Amino acid sequence: MKAGFLALPLIALPFVLNDFWLTQIATRALILGITALSLSFLATYLGVVSFAQITLAGIAGYTIAYFGPNTVGVGIKLPFWVSIPAALLFSVTAGALIGYIARRSRGIYAIMITLAIGVAFFYFTRQNYAVFNGWTGFSGITAPVVAGTSLRDPSTLYFLSLATAAIAVVLVSLFARAPLGLAIQAVRDAPSRVMALGIPVTTPVVAAFAFSGLIAGGGGILNVWYQERISSFSVGLGPIIDVLIIAVIGGLRHPLGAFLGAIVFVLLDTFAVDLIDRDRFNTLIGMVLLIIVMVAPNGLQQLAADAVAKLRAKEHQSGKSARIKTNT
Amino acid sequence: MSLITENAVCPALEVQGIGKRFGGFWAVKDIDLVIKQGERRAILGPNGAGKTSLFNVLTGDLSASSGQVRMHGEDISRYPMDKRIRRGLRRTYQHAHLFDGLSVRDTLFLAVAALRGGWRQVWPVSQRDARVQQAEALAELAGLSDAIHRGVAELSHGQRRQLEIGIALAGEPRVLLLDEPAAGLSPAERPKLRELLTSLPNHITVVLIEHDMNIALQTSDFVTVLYNGEWLADGTPDEIVLDDNVRRVYLGGRDGD
Repeated sequence: MKAGFLALPLIALPFVLNDFWLTQIATRALILGITALSLSFLATYLGVVSFAQITLAGIAGYTIAYFGPNTVGVGIKLPFWVSIPAALLFSVTAGALIGYIARRSRGIYAIMITLAIGVAFFYFTRQNYAVFNGWTGFSGITAPVVAGTSLRDPSTLYFLSLATAAIAVVLVSLFARAPLGLAIQAVRDAPSRVMALGIPVTTPVVAAFAFSGLIAGGGGILNVWYQERISSFSVGLGPIIDVLIIAVIGGLRHPLGAFLGAIVFVLLDTFAVDLIDRDRFNTLIGMVLLIIVMVAPNGLQQLAADAVAKLRAKEHQSGKSARIKTNT
Repeated sequence: MSLITENAVCPALEVQGIGKRFGGFWAVKDIDLVIKQGERRAILGPNGAGKTSLFNVLTGDLSASSGQVRMHGEDISRYPMDKRIRRGLRRTYQHAHLFDGLSVRDTLFLAVAALRGGWRQVWPVSQRDARVQQAEALAELAGLSDAIHRGVAELSHGQRRQLEIGIALAGEPRVLLLDEPAAGLSPAERPKLRELLTSLPNHITVVLIEHDMNIALQTSDFVTVLYNGEWLADGTPDEIVLDDNVRRVYLGGRDGD
């Protein structure tokens, strides 16, 4: 019922929005939201803030670019039903590897390790021409055509992103309730106690990162179809910080927070230039984000949830007083 | 473990010359213990006597600097902690580090799944799953049936202690080491804990560190007293209460009192 209320307007969007709003705002927000969800999953359930999620998304994106049609003449052309699973496999494996490297790190140390991996990957893509085509990267990437329709078609890409986002949210909530998901949360709360139960701590940590690699990989594939190009700039410090901002302003407590954060971020990123001088638009973005963090320290999702709870309490109260009135 | 070894009258826990050294300081030195199957043994001693260090060495939380530990005849001295747990050795901790983000049921489920297998499962389990039923039975055993759906962070101190015991009872524990289960409990919570301790199945061997003399002496068959990391005395609760050495170092009495 609740999901239906949320799903109906989202399904209706392509029929009311023009291509600009649908693609530049809605689809872009969904794709960024998926990648941000991979970060908020790790932060919420494992208690680790990872700066390597753009790297994982980038690995999936580069796989699609390398094994798909592009105009730079690098790579091997494979059918999309091979390249898509390969992209997810690589992002999951890379996630597991990063998890293994960061398995004993928490807090600032985990941030430093994942940031180092993210930045190292950025420089590696700039310097490697054989696979990543250096700093220019890949362009002219085309999305697969299924049943005569390109997946890059605005409505199709929107629906594809919406479906991926919905699957990602469902997967996160299912995984969080699964035994391995419980073990991941137990590691977040008391790693030494998990060992005392007889569960090795490394497995849940590696699994959490691998799962986040699956979600980030999904976002990365959609992003490369959406952008139709990928380069070192797509995996640089800018996008790394963008995804962190999206996750934080949206709120880490609920999977939908990442998408709320993404909508706000995309609107700001798109329209700040129109509101203020081109040289100053980053200042405006920064100011708005600062205000959001100050007003809603637990993110926009929590702010909205609190507002709904307050409204319900008020309704309940007024209903109660109305009943008292009729009784008297 | 073969049935022949199981059936032989070998002690539940046999400790020979166990010691733990931190730099030049021996926290536990040359301890010998023989604890029979099904026995209730209390380990007493003032602060710094080495009680918790002894537990840490027995469970593998810390590696021993000397000596040997046998459980039901099997030398477990070199086993890592998880292997000792799988052999049936369980403990509770003095400071309850629990999973504050999980519910009571999820915590107990994880304890069961860790031992029975399946904690790597990536999809949720059904309510009818045998492990879920076991977790619920453990909650009942630990007196937490009413709080089963509550978050661990919401539990009172006493309930956290009960949950610790519930976790330790998961699977098939054979030797249970309880580290000050009554610490920090209110006077109202203490009888409940005593009841829980006395209701533990007889086939489980229980070794208890406890500062509350009433609980320690009422729930144990035999008492070992440590002092400054070394063995001081052994005896039944009545003998220990009358032991001059024990009275001097632990009960605060003087010679000839």
